Amino acid sequence: MSTVTSWLPLAAVLAPIAGIVLILATRRQPNVREGATILTAVSTLVLVASMVPTVLSGGVPTADLGGFVPGVAFVLRADPLGMIFALLASFLWLITSFYSIGYMRGLSEHSQTRYFAAFAGSIASAVGVAFASNLIVLYVFYELLTVATYPLVAHDQTKEARTAGRKYLAYTFGGGVAALAGTALIFVATGTVAFTPGGIAELATVDPLVGKAAFALLAGGFGVKAALMPIHSWLPDAMVAPTPVSGLLHAVAVVKSGVFAIARVVIDVFGPVQMSEWGLGIPLAIVAAATILIASVIALRQDNLKRRLAYSTISQLSYIILGLALLSPAAMVGGLLHIPAHAFMKLTLFFAAGAIHVETHIDDISDMAGIGRRMPVTMIAFAIASVGMAGLPVVAGFVSKWYLLIGSVDAGHSIFVLVLLASGLLNIGYFWPIVYQAFFQTPADSDAKPLLEGPFGGSPTRTDGGEPASEGEYAVDRNPSDLEKDKPKSDPETDNSDSEAHAEDHGHHGGPPAGGWDWHPFGTESTWFMLGPILVTATGAIVLGIDPQGAIFLDLIFDVVETAAEVTFP
Amino acid sequence: MTDALVLLVGMPIFAAILPIAGGIMWNGLGRYVAIAATLVQVTLAGIVLNSVLTNGSFSYEVGGYMPPFGIELVGDGISAPLLVLIALVTLGVVVYSLHAGPHSDAFYSELLLLLAGLSGLVATGDVFNLYVFLEITGLATYALVASGRSPKAAYASLKYLIVGTIGASFYLLGVGYLFVATGTLNMADLAAKIPAVGYDSPLIVTAFAFIAVGLAVKVALFPLHTWQPDAYAESPHSVSAYIAALVSTAAAYGLFRIVYEVFTVEFLEAVPLARDAFLAFAGVSIIVGAVLAVVQTDLKRMLAYSSVSHFGLVVAGFAIANETALTGGLIHLVGHGIMKGGLFLAVGVFATTAGARRVEEFDGLANRLPLLSGLFAILAFSMVGVPPAIGFPGKWNIVVGAVEAGEWAIAAIVVGSTLLTLGYFGRIVERMYFADPQPSETEQATIVADGEGGLEPSSLMVAVVVVAVVGAVGLGIGVSELVGTYEPVLEVYF
Repeated sequence: MSTVTSWLPLAAVLAPIAGIVLILATRRQPNVREGATILTAVSTLVLVASMVPTVLSGGVPTADLGGFVPGVAFVLRADPLGMIFALLASFLWLITSFYSIGYMRGLSEHSQTRYFAAFAGSIASAVGVAFASNLIVLYVFYELLTVATYPLVAHDQTKEARTAGRKYLAYTFGGGVAALAGTALIFVATGTVAFTPGGIAELATVDPLVGKAAFALLAGGFGVKAALMPIHSWLPDAMVAPTPVSGLLHAVAVVKSGVFAIARVVIDVFGPVQMSEWGLGIPLAIVAAATILIASVIALRQDNLKRRLAYSTISQLSYIILGLALLSPAAMVGGLLHIPAHAFMKLTLFFAAGAIHVETHIDDISDMAGIGRRMPVTMIAFAIASVGMAGLPVVAGFVSKWYLLIGSVDAGHSIFVLVLLASGLLNIGYFWPIVYQAFFQTPADSDAKPLLEGPFGGSPTRTDGGEPASEGEYAVDRNPSDLEKDKPKSDPETDNSDSEAHAEDHGHHGGPPAGGWDWHPFGTESTWFMLGPILVTATGAIVLGIDPQGAIFLDLIFDVVETAAEVTFP
Repeated sequence: MTDALVLLVGMPIFAAILPIAGGIMWNGLGRYVAIAATLVQVTLAGIVLNSVLTNGSFSYEVGGYMPPFGIELVGDGISAPLLVLIALVTLGVVVYSLHAGPHSDAFYSELLLLLAGLSGLVATGDVFNLYVFLEITGLATYALVASGRSPKAAYASLKYLIVGTIGASFYLLGVGYLFVATGTLNMADLAAKIPAVGYDSPLIVTAFAFIAVGLAVKVALFPLHTWQPDAYAESPHSVSAYIAALVSTAAAYGLFRIVYEVFTVEFLEAVPLARDAFLAFAGVSIIVGAVLAVVQTDLKRMLAYSSVSHFGLVVAGFAIANETALTGGLIHLVGHGIMKGGLFLAVGVFATTAGARRVEEFDGLANRLPLLSGLFAILAFSMVGVPPAIGFPGKWNIVVGAVEAGEWAIAAIVVGSTLLTLGYFGRIVERMYFADPQPSETEQATIVADGEGGLEPSSLMVAVVVVAVVGAVGLGIGVSELVGTYEPVLEVYF
């Protein structure tokens, strides 16, 4: 790898920032403002993409901005690992921008200028995270990403959204604090925080206790955004944000900045050799494996589609962490490849969920029986993506999972093979009912969703052997207050106040129409602002699945792992 | 060129007479004098900084009497940037006050007198002279706080007068002990003579204790902070911004000068109790200040307690006693001045235009004052320590220094102070942007009750806040320049 002096990494960060200014300046003319968004998204993508040939041929475009805090330089470098993330974020931003326009206008949302400006700010920070050359620069953009995303989480301005925003800030700043402490430990112990492929050499001579503490702080701190359990709970709550935000930021940019930072820590700070010497991989792998399984089981129980997708994200993000933690070359390839693979698939799923919300104001899975008639293209894309999530061939998820499986065996921990396979089954368990009820059931004739209900371990038995109280037994149920009488009866388990509030906001009522769904032929189910992005991301997921070599990402990943683990891939 | 240093102190004192004297004949002369004087002050401070950057440290003997007998003024890599900060903040506040008031000639006289006191405090190389400037600063501040003209302001001023005078007396007592022990008052000379007396001799240790406590009162470390929230909250907006940005800052700088220039690091090593006590006070200040800030409902009081917390950070940087942490403390000293000054100015605009002083009055303000809300949010997140703004580099250096020194407890507190600061700023930002505005009747009522609000936002006032934001972010990005000017001075101490 040779350093090439270039202003391109800096320009790629500054382009979306310039976009913020443009968006704010044109706030009075929505069409011009959206034009500014598209323009900056295109130019960001072009700037990032223009570095791909250099990077693939072994060069590292580097922009040196001089000193920052003492002993640390502010340098942006587009190395292969950074390119994976930057390329992914900037490409999907362009797609999501179109979708955002369709979504925000479809719902006539308020504060659209703030929304688009904050979105651009998030992307600028994400690209900065990608191109950071050391832990401090990474931290700078990591924190900026937190701040830029906050207005999007709290966008709704409801009490629920504000609470979610507060939780988001508290969790992610808390994680940032831990990461900063870990960074300080590394800096004091080694005198550098610069990313070095294969790890910082000076770490070998550091007191193992300090090294391990630093790793725990860094992995735990960045693990907040990567939604490792048990520090994940901000993510499901953040689903109160508009769907494009949930899609791009809470399935791609923000959460993957956490995953990406952990990748940097594993590959470029500690290095696979030092990691295995200190035995740091296995604890992380165990946390990841537990997260994969537990999140999947929780996902089974969610009736709100976006919340189910959120738990699926939590589970899938840990695939990436598991791959990194196993430290075998194939597992790392699998983990890193899952970054783009999951991005394309999950974005498709979120786009579909958002399209359903805009068109029918339905958020709950139990209301979606037969919706394949109403939204055929959307649901076909949804089906493709969920197949990929389960790791079945032809879709992107298969390739990354394949590498992960091989990698687990290579690493000598076959137990994780079982985890991955079990997770695949659980994925089918929580995605397939959505797909088959969409196409093969009608609202009038559908079985109960979600698959699991009630408390884990069944209802508590009583010592007197009596039946647990059922609805209508209490006096207050027989003589409800006037307030309650007006309200339609709803099942407390599946009742979702969010969706109700939404439905009221827009003057619609959720739920399928009385006479079943009307058939909408191809292209009439929604606007092309929304259908186009869905098709693009679904296609992307398939392309990654059929021809992973052709889609740049795998080449970049091979570069990364070859340098880090000193192996050669065909 | 070295004359600029003495003019920095002498010119504002002279200029302070003019509004009072000339005001007899021309009412309203004050503002013109103040603008002219602060412009000159900025130029002079620029000359001093430029000279330090090109030729290194220099000193000026007042009246030609050579130190250690004469009074010495010192311009070096640490005092020069602070002198520039003081000059610029004064200019900003004068511009802001043109619209915000107070407009009286007395106000401008007091402001210029305070400017002279602060500049002298920073530039002096003599411990007794430092006392004189400490008192000038104090007296001018008492008067400025009282210019709020409300009974509460008078009370706050009286409280500050009593507590501040006790603090200054403590300092003077300490100086007396030092003089008894060494027979000199010049800082450099003291540093040379104290080792002969012995760092752990009772005289020296007592002197240190008196001086440290006296200055801690002026810095407003917990539990010596009680004067500060009243003084900040009850004075006019221009005044609170000015004293919040500079008065405690100059006192903290004095503390740094005395500890490192007079007592030196060797003293802290020889008397570990002194260092540990400092660290303990700093740590407690950080936490308690933040907790008290969270429970405030008045924005200016909240910002005042935030200062208690953040001066805890600064002093922690001083007390860890290695070069990294000290650099961090000094960076945060300057950075806090800019950010806190900007925040107070912003709250002043909120109060005068929207009548918002209390936390719940900030609901939905972003819709009414979008630019100002954005500026406030940027400054708030800078205070939290979001990089690249100036709140981050200082904190980072203090943390690294604490880790280097193996002070794990203080390292944890300083790192955690991010969340503490977020605790009280986060809710304001949330209310401004994501809460629905209050019904207009109650708003009207509060405006009437407060006697404020309803004015159009003055672009001049907002412009000053913009400059503060640009300064906070710009200095954060270019912080290596600031560290570069500090380095030659700090190297000598370690």
